[in-house]
This record gives sequence, structure tokens and C-alpha cells, in this order.
Amino acid sequence: MTAARVRAAFADAGVTGKLHAVDLDHPDRELSVGADDPVVLASVFKVPLLVALHHSTHDLTARITLDHDRSTGPTGVGGMLDPVTMSLRDLAYLAITVSDNAAADALVDLIGLDDINHTLDELHLSHTRIVHRARDFMRTMAEDAVPAEPPAALTDPVVLSRLRALDPTRTNRGTARDLTTLLRHVWQHEACAPIRRNMALQVWPHRLASGFPFDDVRVAGKTGTLPTIRNEIGVVEYPDGGRYAVAVFTRSASTAFTLPPADAVIGTAARLAIEHLR
Amino acid sequence: MSKSDITTPAISEQLSSLLVDLLRHLRHFLAVAEELHFGRAAARLHMSQPPLSQSIQRLERELGVRLLDRDARHVALTDAGRQILTEARGLLAGEDRLRALAGRFRHGEAGSLRAGVPPDLGGRAVAALLPAFRHRSPVDLKLREIGTAEQLRALADRSLDVGVLRFPFDVSWLSLGPVLTSPLGVLLPRDHPLATAPDVRLADLNGLALVLFPRTTAPALHDEVLTTCARHGYTPTDVHQAGNPEFALGLVLAGGAVALHDGITPPPDAAWRPLRGNPILWRTSAAWPRGRRTPAVTAFADAVTEVLTAQGMRHAEGTLPRYPRPAAEYLS
Repeated sequence: MTAARVRAAFADAGVTGKLHAVDLDHPDRELSVGADDPVVLASVFKVPLLVALHHSTHDLTARITLDHDRSTGPTGVGGMLDPVTMSLRDLAYLAITVSDNAAADALVDLIGLDDINHTLDELHLSHTRIVHRARDFMRTMAEDAVPAEPPAALTDPVVLSRLRALDPTRTNRGTARDLTTLLRHVWQHEACAPIRRNMALQVWPHRLASGFPFDDVRVAGKTGTLPTIRNEIGVVEYPDGGRYAVAVFTRSASTAFTLPPADAVIGTAARLAIEHLR
Repeated sequence: MSKSDITTPAISEQLSSLLVDLLRHLRHFLAVAEELHFGRAAARLHMSQPPLSQSIQRLERELGVRLLDRDARHVALTDAGRQILTEARGLLAGEDRLRALAGRFRHGEAGSLRAGVPPDLGGRAVAALLPAFRHRSPVDLKLREIGTAEQLRALADRSLDVGVLRFPFDVSWLSLGPVLTSPLGVLLPRDHPLATAPDVRLADLNGLALVLFPRTTAPALHDEVLTTCARHGYTPTDVHQAGNPEFALGLVLAGGAVALHDGITPPPDAAWRPLRGNPILWRTSAAWPRGRRTPAVTAFADAVTEVLTAQGMRHAEGTLPRYPRPAAEYLS
């Protein structure tokens, strides 16, 4: 019943979506809408990255310098012009709160893709694999778009139909269920407390948080975005102690970059799911 | 009709040793039986005589009967050989037919193609599509008239091989033919002041309602049209949802509303005017599940392009400037 309402909400927003929601304190209470289907993670990959970082032996207060050859993006260090020296934990903060590609890739370069996947293995998240850094999926998009050029090319459906970055078998992938399992781990382990803080400080209001316009409800999340792909995973906490992990992965029919209903339906679907669990 | 996918080598090898060897030996036997001379038979088979003799001996061992009486100068069929020759001819002819049929499927010349076309494609386009396809492919074309959303479901559950779809839709699992566009104009009551203008700006339509297809049939396209109207300064006083063209026309003729129309055979009792700058386009293309392209699918996609181009649709060209915002995360 609720699953059907979630599907209808996705359809009404012009997207197809996968969702998994689970009560953190009663994990047998859950809701699945295609929760085991493979999905493209996009920037959601920064959460498994941080989990691996926080289980590593790296000194999180150690500082590294990101020079001119770092990854780029519209936010954080990725959008800055000059070399930046920063601690690992502040890079982690930027990677989550503003989805900073340069900060995230610097951390991947430090700990390695193998370590991230090893961490996922230890958590038995076998459907989730990290095979690309942010700059790798940027590169494959530019390569696959040829002869057309981003950004305009990334709204051309013919170009999008050939992008490796949108194919879960060829880029960073997971399932909604795997990602809520990862969130349960983050919310259970003291070593992951800084990740919980960073996700609570994420700046974007337009997706998961938009479904919970209540001052007494806390939303912590991490978005992921690629052409036609809009994702967010997070935890919603009510003042009565109810805590729910939710993972939503969508693909829009429209190729427009700016598509407010497709962003908002992530919050709508999450609230339908969590109301069902409460 | 895709290439056969034999995933178990062990089984395919067994099959080939059982079947292909028997058929090969029978073919050798047929040549000897027809020539009644090992040397000529070997020459006809482009092989030397010793392996041909061995092949006949193996066949005789396999079947447990002598097929040929041979002495130094003569080769003759035994009684068993004569009767088995008749059966062998039948088997070998069957093999030829089987291989030819497989080849026709492999080359997309046999079987049928299940294709979907949208209901609003128009009778003339459908009428032109059938011969345009037949001209390109011998397979049987089975056309179904269904909308984009239903075509996507049918392509996903494999009850459709190829479709003609109206954008936007999720292309992540599909391959696409060329995207063709048709600019939309508006239908106005004949006595409306704008009915005599050479073209109409969207912003000129303020104060009028818009008649559009029901939102549930294609929410993304519905929203895209309204967003484009807003972008060009037109906020309809109301949006009426009309499922069929006659109802849409009725709402226009009643006054106070406009409907979108591609201008191909507009209804005679309304005025059709183009929109300045062609801001609203229907975009259409053939689409099929990725990795399931066959010669027949290609023929259909080509036929669709030919027919829709002849109808005045054009290849999509250039895109508007696009300015992704920081929340897009990946572009700077």
C-alpha cells in the first residue's frame, strides 16, 4: 500500500525511483521499493569513502595540500582557485556538507579504492562497489559525450544513453538496502560520529530535508547527482526518539538540470516511507 | 534474432560431435554413393582419398552395417546402403533447410518485429511506415498503437522489440534512433485577434487557458511544456486536461483557451498559428532496449526516420545554453 503510494509519487514527479527505509532501532521494520535493484551512487559514494577513512589508521588531523592539479567541481575546494592545505577531517567535512569533489578525491587518493571496497566487504555490502573517483566519472562523461561537449551535451538524451557514468555495471554502484545498512553502521559506531555530524551539516535543503519541514525533526543526509540522476541517503530523527535510515535513488525522464519536482519527491517519498514505519 | 548465446562449451561440443560428425560422414557417403568412385568423390569434397575411406569406415562402424561393396576396381552400394542413402538425403536436405533458416534469423530476414507507435502519430504516418519498413526488411511487422509510458513497460518486459517514443523518458537502458522534432503552434478560435498574426509569442497568450493532454499520461512532458511556457512569459489562467483531440478542439472553439498542435492537418474550424522561435517541440525517436539491436530493428528505426522526416519533422539541432547550478554537484 505504502510502496504503491511511493511509486505513484515517483511517477507523478516524472521519475523512476528505488527506496529503502528502515527503523534504526527496530531493523525488522522496513519498507522496500526496488531496494535490491542496482543503482548509480553518484556523490553518495562519499559516504562509504568516509566510513573507510574513519576505520583507517590515518591521523584525521594530519594536513595535506591540494594543489592546482586537484579535481574540480562547483563547490568547496573543487571550486577554489589556489592551493589549499587542510586536515583530513576538514576535507571530509567539505566532501559531505557541500559534496566537494576535490576534497573527496584527495581522500580517495590517500586511502585507495581497494580500502574502500575492503571496508564494504567487512560490512557485507556486496552489492556496493566503488570503482571511480569523482574526476573519473567526470572524465568518462566527457569521453562518452564526444563529439558533443558538456554541459549542454549532458541534456541530450542520445548522449545520455551512452554514458558509462549512468550505467550501474560500469560506475560506482550500490542498492538502496546496502546504503541504509551502511547508515545503520554509521549511526551505531562511535568511530563514525564525525560522519553523523557532517551529514547533519549538509547544506542542501531541496531533497530529503524538503520532505520534513519540521523544526523539531533532524535530517542528516548526503546527496548524489548526475545527469537525470538524483539521490539522497540519510537519517531522520524525531524528538520521540524514532530514528529512520532512508535511501532514495531516482532517475528523471526529463534531462533538464533544474527540475525541482524531481528533487522534492525524494523528500515526499521518504516521508511516506517513514510515516509508514512510525 | 540476436546471435545465439551458447554458454556451456561442454554441451555444444558434445552436440557437434554427435550431430555434425554424423552429418559430415553422411555427406561423404552421399558423394561416394553418387560418384561410385572414391577418387572422384574425394575430389568433389576437396579432400584426399585416405580420410574419405576412413570416414566411410567410421560411418559403417557407427551404423553397424556395410554400406558399400568395394573391390580393386568397383564401388557399389549394398542393399542397406541404397536404403540408407534415401534417408541420408532427407537428413542432409533437412540440415540445409535448418542452416538456411538459422541464417535468415541471424541476418534478420525471418520472424516478426513487434513495434509500438504513439496514438497521435497520425494515420498517414502509419500508412507510410508499413511500406517504408517492408522496403527494408522481409520480416513481418506487427504494429501496436500505444503511448510512450505503455511502450516503455512493454519494451522492459520484452513484449515489444522497438518503439516510437515521445521524449522525455528514462533513456538509461535504451538505445535511440535519431531524435526528430516537430515545432508546435497553437489552435485559436478563428475570430481571435491573434488568429490573423503571422506567428504568436507565448507571452501573447496570457489571459488564456491552455488545453493539454492529461498530466498522468506523461507527467514529465506535461511539466516540461508548462515550464517552457513560464520561461517565455506565459502563465495559463488554467490548464484543461483533454484526452482526445476533439475535446481539445471543443474547448478552444468555446473560447478562452488555446491548444498545442503540430500544424499537420489542423482542424478546419480553428486557426493554427506557429509560435515565434519554436519554443515548444515534440521530440520523437525510435528506441529499443540496449544490446537488442537487430537488422529488423535498424530497418524499423530507418523507416521511422524516413516517414517522420517526410512529414516535416526535423533532426534535432543545437541545444539551448545550459547553466547547471551548484546543486548539480558535478559541473563547474
